[in-house]
Amino acid sequence: MYKVAVIGDKDSILGFKALGVDTFSVFGKDETRRTIDTIARDDYGIIFITEQLANLIPETIERYNNTLIPTVILIPSNQGTLNIGMDRINKSVEKAIGTNIL
Amino acid sequence: MKVGRIIKVSGPLVVAEGMDEANIFDVVNVSDNKLIGEIIEMRGDKASIQVYEETTGIGPGEPVYTTGEPLSVELGPGLMEAMFDGIQRPLEPIRELAGDFLTRGIEVPSLNREKKWYFTPSINVGDDVVEGDIIGTVQETSVIVHKIMVPPGVAGRVKTIEEGEFTVTDSICLVEGEKEVSIQMLQRWPVRKGRPVKEKLNPDEPLITGQRVIDTFFPAAKGGTSAIPGPFGSGKTVVQHQLAKWADAEIIVYVGCGERGNEMTDVLMEFPEIKDPKTGESLMKRTILIANTSNMPVAAREASIYTGITIAEYFRDMGYSVAIMADSTSRWAEALREMSGRLEEMPGDEGYPAYLASRVAAFYERAGKAVCLGSDNRIGALTVIGAVSPPGGDISEPVSQATLRIVKVFWGLDASLAYRRHFPAINWLNSYSLYQNKVDEWMNENLDEDFSKNRIMAMSLLQEESGLQEIVRLVGRDSLSEGDQLKLEAAKSIREDFLQQNAFNEDDTYTSLKKQNLMLKMVLAFYNEGKRALDNGVYLNEVTELPVRERIARAKYLAEENIGDIENIINETSTAIDELISKGGILNA
Repeated sequence: MYKVAVIGDKDSILGFKALGVDTFSVFGKDETRRTIDTIARDDYGIIFITEQLANLIPETIERYNNTLIPTVILIPSNQGTLNIGMDRINKSVEKAIGTNIL
Repeated sequence: MKVGRIIKVSGPLVVAEGMDEANIFDVVNVSDNKLIGEIIEMRGDKASIQVYEETTGIGPGEPVYTTGEPLSVELGPGLMEAMFDGIQRPLEPIRELAGDFLTRGIEVPSLNREKKWYFTPSINVGDDVVEGDIIGTVQETSVIVHKIMVPPGVAGRVKTIEEGEFTVTDSICLVEGEKEVSIQMLQRWPVRKGRPVKEKLNPDEPLITGQRVIDTFFPAAKGGTSAIPGPFGSGKTVVQHQLAKWADAEIIVYVGCGERGNEMTDVLMEFPEIKDPKTGESLMKRTILIANTSNMPVAAREASIYTGITIAEYFRDMGYSVAIMADSTSRWAEALREMSGRLEEMPGDEGYPAYLASRVAAFYERAGKAVCLGSDNRIGALTVIGAVSPPGGDISEPVSQATLRIVKVFWGLDASLAYRRHFPAINWLNSYSLYQNKVDEWMNENLDEDFSKNRIMAMSLLQEESGLQEIVRLVGRDSLSEGDQLKLEAAKSIREDFLQQNAFNEDDTYTSLKKQNLMLKMVLAFYNEGKRALDNGVYLNEVTELPVRERIARAKYLAEENIGDIENIINETSTAIDELISKGGILNA
């Protein structure tokens, strides 16, 4: 059974704790990268990460693009969305079926 | 002896009748110009003679004189540093006599008859000697001691032996056996007959050539046989020259057989200037050149190979390690083909005579490590390295195939590598050495116990690379996992930082075994450390962009006395990787 993780700043991810999801509060580029790489090796199936943090480490996000597990999904933080998460979903949809149906 | 008469002339082939007193392989003098020839076929009283000189102007009716002797070479002091033609005529004295190009019918003794050598006996009157025993020495050049041996077939008690200055034909020793024999420094030996040895041994010691791809991956053995096939321009001659320069044989015989004249000139110009790493003296002092360049008579090309190997055998009999380079045996085979065609023999594959394979085999079989004749059981080795030039680089042609059946080491030169400026262009995927096991043992014992392990690892990386390259060509590099991409990087590093070697760089042209071992460790260390970094979550581009890689690439240009630096590079690699891991590696959960 795979687990679900959420990575983000403390304020954004606090609510997820209530759902029973493992939360990792991080700060800064290096810590984010190391956290995501570390938990990717554990049995986490889905990793949610806030857009603000993902923006700092594009090549790390890129690494998990082509892997099946874990899936890295970008979510807005409490400061609002940067729209890159939705862009990625649109792109994935386009790639998969050839046109944007969303 | 009866004089024959020419009835037919066809290029270098002359047929004469009235030769019933002659025997096959006798040397004859053709016409009153006294052209040197050799009988290669007898039918009744008709002899077919291959003439070792130009036959222009010879016609039927002219006389043929038999000497009754087989084609022989003169062996004795004076061979070293000399340059001979295919039938051992000395080219330097001929030039003084007749100018730059060979003139017909010229007669100059192979070894200088006037020059006096100082002979130092090593045995005393009253000693019993057998064939092959060393009776004394002559300091031929500053690095080569020429040992004077009792000729094969002679044994008995020494009656007199003298010390002092003698010419090669002076009698220096009387041996009283069944009959009294006077020994001179000069011996004659028929070229087509191998010189006898007591016992042949299995070659087990590597011939160190200082060429990384050869010594590490495809080693030759002292007393072994190797072939270098390759298309035009792939660097056969440069490899041969490199081997002649740096191989750790004590004596080199270089046979330039049917190749360009200026390649021999290169040897003549370069060798005297290069210092032998072992002796510190000029390389020429241990080198004998046999030249039958492409503009010299074809028949003599056939003989040049035998002349070379007979001289080499003579030095092997003294207990030396000798290497003979033949460049190229394909020209020699073509000479055989030309003679065979003129003899109207039934042609085999591609017009080569049916006996091509057996001739090639007979030549290579004269190599070997052996216990020489003589009571001191000294061991000599004769290594043969032959270049083969298959037309179009396709080794499925008869000469390459006949050669590959015999030789134990195959250095396949590759035109595409040469085109990519990867030199020496020895293809690591199809070359092989059957001495590998023996040499591995030797290396592990004498160099480093991990040597064969490292070599196998490097080779398997190179092999994996060629498989991965195919995937990359199909779907692109990004589809590979980071581990595989690191393998590609490591294999590239092996190719560029280890296999490629610059023959024209002072420090890179010769690499000692110690340096080779360290360099191999260094490139593998990069792979192992890189793998460790990836396992710890470091990204590939961080590993490949390490500044230490530049030092790895430059390590081959380190002079021999600075090879300690390579260990520093290995240490630097691990520190740099440690740093990467502590900075960007995964956290210890």
